[in-house]
Amino acid sequence: MKRTAPIVFGFVVGMIMFLQYFIPHAPFTTAYSLVLDWKQVVFGMTLILGIVSLVRHHGTKVQRREKDWAYSVVVLLGFAVMAIAPIVQRTTEGGIYGWMFDHVQAPMQATMFALLAFYVASASYRAFRARSVQAALLLLAGITVMLGRVPIGEMMAIHVAGHEFSLATLSSWILDVPNMAAKRGILIGVGLGVTATALKILLGIERTYLGRSA
Amino acid sequence: MDRFLAFLERLMSIDRRWLYLAVAIAVAVPVLRPIGLPVKVSNETRDFFAQLEALHEGDVILFSFDYEADTNAELDPMSRVIWDYCFSRGIRIVALTLYPGGVGIAENIMNEAAEKYGKEYGVDYVFLGFNADWSGTMLRMGESFRLTYPAEQYGKATTEIPLLDDADKYADVPLLVSIASSSYAEYWAIWAGGKFGQKIVTGNTAVQAVLVYPYYQAGQILGFLGGLKGAAELETLTDLPGDATRGMDSQSTGHGLMVLFILLGNLAYLAQKIRQRRAV
Repeated sequence: MKRTAPIVFGFVVGMIMFLQYFIPHAPFTTAYSLVLDWKQVVFGMTLILGIVSLVRHHGTKVQRREKDWAYSVVVLLGFAVMAIAPIVQRTTEGGIYGWMFDHVQAPMQATMFALLAFYVASASYRAFRARSVQAALLLLAGITVMLGRVPIGEMMAIHVAGHEFSLATLSSWILDVPNMAAKRGILIGVGLGVTATALKILLGIERTYLGRSA
Repeated sequence: MDRFLAFLERLMSIDRRWLYLAVAIAVAVPVLRPIGLPVKVSNETRDFFAQLEALHEGDVILFSFDYEADTNAELDPMSRVIWDYCFSRGIRIVALTLYPGGVGIAENIMNEAAEKYGKEYGVDYVFLGFNADWSGTMLRMGESFRLTYPAEQYGKATTEIPLLDDADKYADVPLLVSIASSSYAEYWAIWAGGKFGQKIVTGNTAVQAVLVYPYYQAGQILGFLGGLKGAAELETLTDLPGDATRGMDSQSTGHGLMVLFILLGNLAYLAQKIRQRRAV
C-alpha cells in the first residue's frame, strides 16, 4: 500500500494533466486549475523548506563555532534583515530593503559576475590551446564569434579583407548553422529523454521520486 | 630565433595578475575615454524591434524581469530602452518577475521610466511582483492575470487596478517581452507560446542567447537581443542611446584583448613544442 498508493496517485494525476492538454473541457479544465493551485502551494512550501534548511545549517555552524562560522552570522543577519524589513516597513521600494538591495546585494552580485571576465581571460591564455584539429576548429570559431560580435572586430576585418567581407555575417552564420544544428540535436535528445522519463514515472517503472525504500 | 622562442615560452608562465591588470585597463579606459565605435544591427534585433514597432498607442504588453542583479550590467540597458520606447509611444505595460531578486531591479527601471514620461501607476503600468511557481505562473496567466496574482506587489487587490480591465490574459496582450538571464525565455516560448499562442520576444545574456537560436528560427521566439550588443543595437534602432552603446567600446577592447591572449597563449605553446622537439 505504501508503495502502490503513490504510484496510482501519480498515474491518475499525470494522466489528467496529459489528457487536459487535448480535451479543454470540464471536468479536465477544473482538474487542471486545481492541480495548478496545489502546485503553487507545494512550490511555496519548498521555499519554506529551503529557508528552514538554510537557517538550521548556518545556525548549527554558529552554535558549534565551526570553521568560518563568522560568515554564517553574516548570512543569517543578511537573511533576517532582507526578510523582516519589507514586512515591518510594508514596502520593497526604498527603506532598509531597498537600500540593502541597491547598495549591498546588487553590487555584490554584479562584482561576482564581473570577476568572471578576469578568470575567463586567464583561462583563455592558459588553457585554450590548438592541441588537435578539432580544438583548432573550436578556437577559430570562438575567435570569429568573439570578434564578430563587437564593432572593433568588424572594423579590423574591413581593414584586412575589404568591405566585401563581413565578420559579423560569418559570426552569425556560425551561430545560425553549426551552433544551431548541435543545439537542436541536444534539444531533441533532451525532449526524447524527458518523454521517456515521464512515461516511466506514469507507469511506475521509475520510482526514485518515492525515496530509497521504494 | 632560439632566443625568440625562449621568450615566447617564458610567456606561458606569466603571473596571472598581469593578465588581470590588462583586462581592467582594457575595460576601464574606453569608459573614461569613449571611442564611439559604430554598431551594426543584426537580424535578430531587427525582428525584435519590428514587433515593438508594430504596437499601437494604448496597447498593453506583458514584461517579465527574469533576472537578478548579477546580470544587470548586461540586461538593465535592454529593459531601460524597451520601457523608454514603450512609454514614449503611449504603450502600457504589465510587469512581473520570476526571480525574488528581480523585484529591486524592476522597481528601479519602472520608477525611472515612469518619472521620465510622467506615467501613472495602475493606469499606464503595474507591477504584479514575484510569484514562486514559475511554470504555474506561466500557465495560469493564460487564463487570468488577476487569478494568478490576486494582489500586486504592494498588496493592492488586482481587481482594483484599472489597467488590468483591458489586459487580464495572454489573449489581451499583443506581445510578451522576457528579459532573461536563464532558461525562462525558452520556457515562456514553451508554455505561453506553445499552449496559448502568445507572441514572444526576448532579451538574453550573450551566453544564454546561443540557446535561443532554435526557437527563433522555428518562429517560437519572434526576435531576441543577444547580450550587451543586442541592447546597443536596439538603442540604435530606437534612437535612444544609453549604457549599452557606451559599453560597446569596453566590450570591443575586452574581446580584442581576449583574442590577443588566446593567440599569445597558442604562440607560447607552439614555441614550447618546437624547443622540446629540438632538445630531443
